[in-house]
Amino acid sequence: MSYSTFNQEQNNPLTEPMFLGNSVNVARYDQQKHSIFEKLIEKQISFFWRPEEIDVSRDRIDFNKLTASEKHVFISNLKYQTLLDSIQGRSPNIALLPIVSLPELETWIETWSFFETIHSRSYTHILRNLFSDPSEVFEDIVINEQIKIRANDISKYYDDLIFYTQLLQTHGEGDVVVDGKTHTVTQREIKKKLFLCINSVNALEAIRFYVSFACTFAFAERELMEGNAKIIKLIARDENVHLTSTQHILNLWQYGEDDPEMKEIAEELRDEAYEIFMTAVKQEKQWAHYLFKDGSMIGLNESMLCQYVEYIANLRMQAIGFDAPFENQRSNPLPWMNKYLVSDNVQVAPQESEITSYLVGQIDSEVNASDLGDFDL
Amino acid sequence: MANTFKVKVNGGPELAVDATEGTLLEALEKHQLEMHYHCRSGFCGACRSTLKSGTVRYTTEPLAYVRKGDILPCCCVPESDLDIEH
Ligand SMILES: [Fe+2]
Ligand SMILES: [Fe+2]
Repeated sequence: MSYSTFNQEQNNPLTEPMFLGNSVNVARYDQQKHSIFEKLIEKQISFFWRPEEIDVSRDRIDFNKLTASEKHVFISNLKYQTLLDSIQGRSPNIALLPIVSLPELETWIETWSFFETIHSRSYTHILRNLFSDPSEVFEDIVINEQIKIRANDISKYYDDLIFYTQLLQTHGEGDVVVDGKTHTVTQREIKKKLFLCINSVNALEAIRFYVSFACTFAFAERELMEGNAKIIKLIARDENVHLTSTQHILNLWQYGEDDPEMKEIAEELRDEAYEIFMTAVKQEKQWAHYLFKDGSMIGLNESMLCQYVEYIANLRMQAIGFDAPFENQRSNPLPWMNKYLVSDNVQVAPQESEITSYLVGQIDSEVNASDLGDFDL
Repeated sequence: MANTFKVKVNGGPELAVDATEGTLLEALEKHQLEMHYHCRSGFCGACRSTLKSGTVRYTTEPLAYVRKGDILPCCCVPESDLDIEH
């Protein structure tokens, strides 16, 4: 039962389930059970970007011009996103790698988590530019009540799955007493925890970022904090790939295209999955309320944001087989959001961000034949 | 006009769509319909629609999960007359 970093059992990954079968031994991609995950790896890697490539220096001037309530909106969103990416930069690895059974999915999980670490590093890049000492902002993340409520709701499903996986991999199935508490560990129980966890992660990737995204792009619509908006646009593009992966996992289970026991569990826990999503919707609306407690910002207010959360939730829930829960929110209340979410428009071309390293390259590239004078090539 | 098909959206009027001119999403936007979309390149699934009748052809392989009976207008073109819910 204990995890092996190189499972010596000769197994056929084409017949393994996505999770909780044999652990992966050879990282091979010549044959794949669910080739979609390798396609997502390729897509995600093609989107590679570095925070340092984006010039955020002008944002400091803009930031100082914001009203106190707008500063609250901006900084609170950064804190919340920092929390989300702190969790996502480690949790898919810690929770899912010990139980994954397909090489292409294992590598997808690692790729996914790695990109979340780029997001985390980009928040430091943004904050370093705004404050000579950003530590106060970071330190508030573990104190701020509004953020703590969300942190708890996101991490609890991961933590539960991780703990039970540890019990399974150290004790095997059966009752295990830890600190005086009895835990009944079965493969099926862990599959249930996995199902709830993936639903919670799916809701995170699907809607939890969108209130902050909307605020960022509303500032950008006013030509404020545009360096930040460029970064958030790249993050949004990545999050859409992550979301596609969790939607694939959920749909593969639901349609019985993977583990038949997971199909049963998906039916059994359908209401709980629905509730996880609706709780995330409710919390995002509360977040909108918290953001605008001291006043709105031009072009955006609490009710528009809440309508947008409902609009996005409709699209996301239909993608995993639920009916749209908000029938009266079928049209997009923030149509300008779309231009920031289009993938084609995203450019990380260094010439756009005018970074020094590129300018050096540019000067070099302008050396042409005539500059070489009498050199004979 | 062999490439032009009639497309009905949400029970509305039949719209002419030329399959050689851009994606189904672009064609419907030209008809002034409010379309749902994000990535416009087949990986996010935000444009997901229900295909009630007809067939489509994907010009880019969709990476978003396409549930049975669904299509992604951002990366397909009609191959016949269509009736869709969007
Ligand atoms: Fe992220
Ligand atoms: Fe993500």
